[in-house]
Amino acid sequence: MRPADLTPVARDVLKLPAGVGLIFFSLLGAFLLQVLPWSGTWLLARPDFVLVVLLFWTIHEPRSIGQGIAFALGLLVDVSDSMLLGQHALAYVIAVFGAQVIRVRIMSFHVPEQTLHVMGLTFAASLVMLSLNLLLGADFPGLAFLVSPVLTALCWGPVSWLLYSAPVRRRREGAS
Amino acid sequence: MIREPPSFFHRGPSPLARLTFFTIAAIVLMIADHRFRALETVRLSLSVLAHPIQELAVVPSNAVGRVTDYFSSQERLLRENQELKVRVLEQSAAAQEARLLRAEQQHLLAMSPGKSRYADGGTLAEVLYTARNPFTRKVVIDKGLQAGVASGMPVIDGEGVVGQVTNVGTFTSEVTLVTEKDQSVPVMLVRNGLRAIAVGSGKDGSIDVPFMPVSADIQNGDTFVTSGIDGTYPPGLLVAQVTSVEKNTAYVFAKIVAKPAAGVQNHRYVMILPIPQPGAAPPETRAQESRPGKARGGARGRRDATR
Repeated sequence: MRPADLTPVARDVLKLPAGVGLIFFSLLGAFLLQVLPWSGTWLLARPDFVLVVLLFWTIHEPRSIGQGIAFALGLLVDVSDSMLLGQHALAYVIAVFGAQVIRVRIMSFHVPEQTLHVMGLTFAASLVMLSLNLLLGADFPGLAFLVSPVLTALCWGPVSWLLYSAPVRRRREGAS
Repeated sequence: MIREPPSFFHRGPSPLARLTFFTIAAIVLMIADHRFRALETVRLSLSVLAHPIQELAVVPSNAVGRVTDYFSSQERLLRENQELKVRVLEQSAAAQEARLLRAEQQHLLAMSPGKSRYADGGTLAEVLYTARNPFTRKVVIDKGLQAGVASGMPVIDGEGVVGQVTNVGTFTSEVTLVTEKDQSVPVMLVRNGLRAIAVGSGKDGSIDVPFMPVSADIQNGDTFVTSGIDGTYPPGLLVAQVTSVEKNTAYVFAKIVAKPAAGVQNHRYVMILPIPQPGAAPPETRAQESRPGKARGGARGRRDATR
């Protein structure tokens, strides 16, 4: 039997929490994609996989994932990308804060509108990093840098399908 | 299966308080890392944590490379072999001459106290990948603390200077390329011994030579080698070839652009050279604030004093 048509926010409260394993392995997978040997323009335009998975869990599992995890993951990304320690941490924390603020609003939309909202957050994260580096004397790396947040936001659809729709469907099939 | 009921009431500090806390923490970290370089141990331990995942990430591309190598045509290998043989012949004469000169120099040094300025030996390393940082020009190599690599060591390839080790991990280290913005190498013009400082321009495949007077005798096609006066780079390594000289009398300095001699972006194996003189000034890593020649000025003073 199909569940009653609840509003998205209400459904969120009744939803079963995602397993710790799923959260951990999705973040691990995102980190793995992030540290593939990207270079040149590909590197500039590389979507920030860790950020999009982090935003997904911030919005869908606000009780397990928050700014603390974002900060720690940011440090890990900084070290593996040999960047100034703390700049990804700052960008991720700011983006996750934004996600916490507009979380309820995002949940009431479908995936295309959600993508637009997420794009705002990813642009905020990219601009934080860009302004930090420009402040420290680096050159503007090229316009491809501004493609990266768009691609990051476009990852929202696949990530939602992979981490939300698929497990929920599997659970429903298991229950029926 | 019993699950905990959802907690309806939020506990702990508010998101804004958390944001403030983490922002301050991040800014403190950045200042400590950028200004005081106080976090090398933190970086080292975190990099050990991230190392297995990074190893895993380069597996697919390495496998593709190996398969391509395996199926590379015999013709190509033969051609490459031929080219290498020609090069060995070309270089053997120069190498014999260098051996003779070196023996002479050692005799001279034996008469006067002082250490050899020429590097002995070196460590071969493989370039793993380009550092994934769009703001800098660095590569990561597969030798670290375990192989005795230290921060500041010069790195060369078959053609010339590639860069300098600026960050050492346990198994890997980072090499800042000579094209990195503000990465400076003390150089000497081969033709007339004119000394200068080559500074990376931050663009691929180009190096600037700033602060040369308009009257300086520099022409297109001149080659720069390391001068060795910094005590970090051994003298005589090829650095760059001048590609454009713009002398405008309206400015005090000439605008000189050179092309790095080493295949800075596309080499696979590099050689890490030891620092010839113990106690040489460590390089400015990630030095966006460094002024070219500032730190080197001190090193030069010491060098001259010891001579």
